[in-house]
Amino acid sequence: MNRVVITGIGVVTPIGSTREKFWSALVEARSGIGPITIVPTERLNIRIAAQVRDFNPADHFDPKRENLLDRFSQFAVVAARAAVRDAQLELSEEIALHAATIIGNSSGGMTTMDDCYYRLYAQNMPRAHPLSIPRLMSNAACSLVSMDLGLKGPAFTVASACSSGTHAIGQAFQMVRTGQAPIALTGGTEACLTVGPFKAWEALRVLSTDTCRPFSRTRSGLVLGEGAAMFVLESRERAMARGAPIYAELLGFGMSADAADITAIDPDGAARAMRAALVDAKVNPADVDYVNAHGTGTLLNDKGETAALRKAFGDSAEQLAVSSSKAVLGHSLGAAGALELAATALALHHQTIPPTANFEESDPECDLDYVPNTARNAPIQNAMSSSFAFGGLNAVLVLGRA
Amino acid sequence: MAIIDDVRSIIANSLKLPVEKLTPETRLEDLGAESLDVIEIVFALEEKYDIAIPLRADEATRLVQSGAGGAPAKSNQSDGQDVPFSTVGDVAEIVEKLVAAKASK
Repeated sequence: MNRVVITGIGVVTPIGSTREKFWSALVEARSGIGPITIVPTERLNIRIAAQVRDFNPADHFDPKRENLLDRFSQFAVVAARAAVRDAQLELSEEIALHAATIIGNSSGGMTTMDDCYYRLYAQNMPRAHPLSIPRLMSNAACSLVSMDLGLKGPAFTVASACSSGTHAIGQAFQMVRTGQAPIALTGGTEACLTVGPFKAWEALRVLSTDTCRPFSRTRSGLVLGEGAAMFVLESRERAMARGAPIYAELLGFGMSADAADITAIDPDGAARAMRAALVDAKVNPADVDYVNAHGTGTLLNDKGETAALRKAFGDSAEQLAVSSSKAVLGHSLGAAGALELAATALALHHQTIPPTANFEESDPECDLDYVPNTARNAPIQNAMSSSFAFGGLNAVLVLGRA
Repeated sequence: MAIIDDVRSIIANSLKLPVEKLTPETRLEDLGAESLDVIEIVFALEEKYDIAIPLRADEATRLVQSGAGGAPAKSNQSDGQDVPFSTVGDVAEIVEKLVAAKASK
């Protein structure tokens, strides 16, 4: 079994699209949540989201190519290129032939889908754009990343709603660990801030109208976001041999299904995934210093997740630092686990715990240390990143200091 | 059709129960409704009357969790006033108010 490390991180996020900008906004609790400008808002009741605001496709793609990429694929390719650059990785033909591309995504090419159906149903146009299918298919991002970088090994998309990114990275981790692939390009991408999904999310009545305040008594729901984070994973041996930067080591991966409710979190199911990840990592609960929580900012998630953390960590929960990055990043669904793994790996790298922003008041039902509003310099040996999806599909990664 | 009868029939239809089982005093919780059922019921009423009923998902959940511990679920009205949202009659009352407010505009 190989020890697996993260040697490259690339991001496209509401708080910046370089690793440095991303990290400084997280640490300074500068939120990417703001007014929706990406689509007309006159039919929306919710007017806020965490949009990627500094992204111009023309900076990254020639016009002919750009036409083939939905926004979620554009994010994925740009983040993947950045991850490879960051890892200082030069792909030999032999490595490229077996390199894996495993990418999490929940919604597919939503901009393309929305446009296509708007033409057909609202404008009564007789035909759809001929590139609709290759743009909207949910494996498009994975395919375009593999094409862009020439990665020819195992490649597929993982869809498990809000856990997609974490499930994808978990798969890539297993492949490098077992030697199925020498390196893996993995992460998550999502771009579904269009009118259709906004209306559908509104109807579910879980969106906040003002902002996202995870674990705070005054929390009022989640805020939708978008973005991508991609990683280069490789064996520790290979990374050391080529003198690559190492951000963190992936130690363990745990999964579970609640087999309970289609939307509500089940503390038992979430705790089982956390325990499974700790067992896989051979890390005791008492040796985990930091948890980057799912922390959506809904009443139910944050309360249920707190109960799950207490179940999984027992008495050690009292010493645990827990923070949610969603106050800053919003909830980017299939990309969320990847963005949050970037936050967790960088926390280990910088030995700094990013805070839970927008924290106002303690809630008796959320009674852990949520690192409110101010980052904390603290020794972090081991950390956890959790995702708990609608449908009760849970995925948890455990990381160690490089 | 009186609003209360509409509300009874929409709730009964959504929960696949005979409408006779529902009186204004019947608590949604006692009908075995889950939070997503409540959200669907609210949606059906909004569609029928072209109104907006402000009820958050967590309120819908609290409403149908047995032993929720006293605090009845509320719907936060646009004037900032919390109104109860527990029984079939409560739901009808909210709809009546919103329909009247719409008519007076």
